[in-house]
Amino acid sequence: MYDTIIIGSGPAGLSAAVYARRAALNAIVIEKDYCGTGQIAESERVDNYLGLYGESGFDMGEKFRAHAEALGTEFVEGEVSGIIPEDDGYKIELSDGNSLSTKTIVYATGASHRRLDIKGEAELSGRGVSYCAVCDGAFYKDKTAAVIGGGDTALGDALFLSKIAEKVYLIHRREQFRANKTLQEKVLNAENIEIITNAVPTEIIGEKRVEALKIKHNGSEETLPVNGIFAAIGTVPNSSLLNGLAELSPDGYVIAGEDCAASAKGIFAAGDVRTKALRQAITAASDGANSILSVEKYLEENGR
Amino acid sequence: MAVRVTNDTFFEEVLSFNGAVLADFYSDSCIPCKRLSPVLAELEEELQDKIKLVKININFDLELASEYEVQTVPTLVFFKNGREVSRLNGLVKKDEIVSEIENL
Repeated sequence: MYDTIIIGSGPAGLSAAVYARRAALNAIVIEKDYCGTGQIAESERVDNYLGLYGESGFDMGEKFRAHAEALGTEFVEGEVSGIIPEDDGYKIELSDGNSLSTKTIVYATGASHRRLDIKGEAELSGRGVSYCAVCDGAFYKDKTAAVIGGGDTALGDALFLSKIAEKVYLIHRREQFRANKTLQEKVLNAENIEIITNAVPTEIIGEKRVEALKIKHNGSEETLPVNGIFAAIGTVPNSSLLNGLAELSPDGYVIAGEDCAASAKGIFAAGDVRTKALRQAITAASDGANSILSVEKYLEENGR
Repeated sequence: MAVRVTNDTFFEEVLSFNGAVLADFYSDSCIPCKRLSPVLAELEEELQDKIKLVKININFDLELASEYEVQTVPTLVFFKNGREVSRLNGLVKKDEIVSEIENL
């Protein structure tokens, strides 16, 4: 039986792994992707992580992982399909039929891209609808793309695409962007980005591939001819495994404070999946540290 | 090592090849592609008698991608005797690729 099982290998899970090794806990990390490092890998450039200025998200993730590996962290590739409470802890079931027993869980499953939830999205996903501009941007060389959203990711995507595509529409439901001011300035200065605020997408049109995007702009319908649509409207927490087990906020985050303790005993939520004010790699890494301190305290108090 | 094929060599390497070919459409900046790459390298070694692996960099050979209606990367297209049989896209698991190859 493990002292703790860390589910997820993003910055929160990897940081927890580092602290768990240093605390000499019998721990293991379960990750669903081969050699994963979480969402950070998709960031083209990270400028706000202390000490790693200007690093690409991918390289940063590799450094985090190398650190955890250097301390001897063990990883298991697998998808968790269920968490079953037992007398002395939890049984974690994997989709391949195996299961592992543990006294505590560090739940660091992160978040996934939020879908637009409009007509045509599912049908044309991978056929012009994308959630990763750095992945699929190259397909829009000299074409027209639309980015939907108003945060750092959306504006970063729009800028990235503006260097490839002929024209980029940036569509945001509010008047003001939430993205940082530096990005906003860059977007305003990009000649081929057309900003459309107070607009929401209503339908994606296309037979075999994306042909147009319908939007509701200031109350009236408009149709924009586009070849690609990039959705960057935030994330949804991967908290479904804790449904009915621990308390979740109305929008699905695991309710826990800085000590990461969820309402279910012995479960600690770390990183983007936890209720918190700021979801960044640095706050995820911080959660990883705090969660292991809480695991140690829990094991001590429960005589395990 | 998988061969990188281009617009110019695709016919020879894939379409006129007698047997099974796995064509990996990828881009330089795509992280799922980077993650998939070592998995494909493993498969190439383990299944070298069963399948030939080729790679298409869509940053350079966008024409091929558009001809094959590839609009997301990574996309794995499976060919048998020059004919497309099936495809997978996204960061797929090794097992899924193996079973696709076995069904060819």
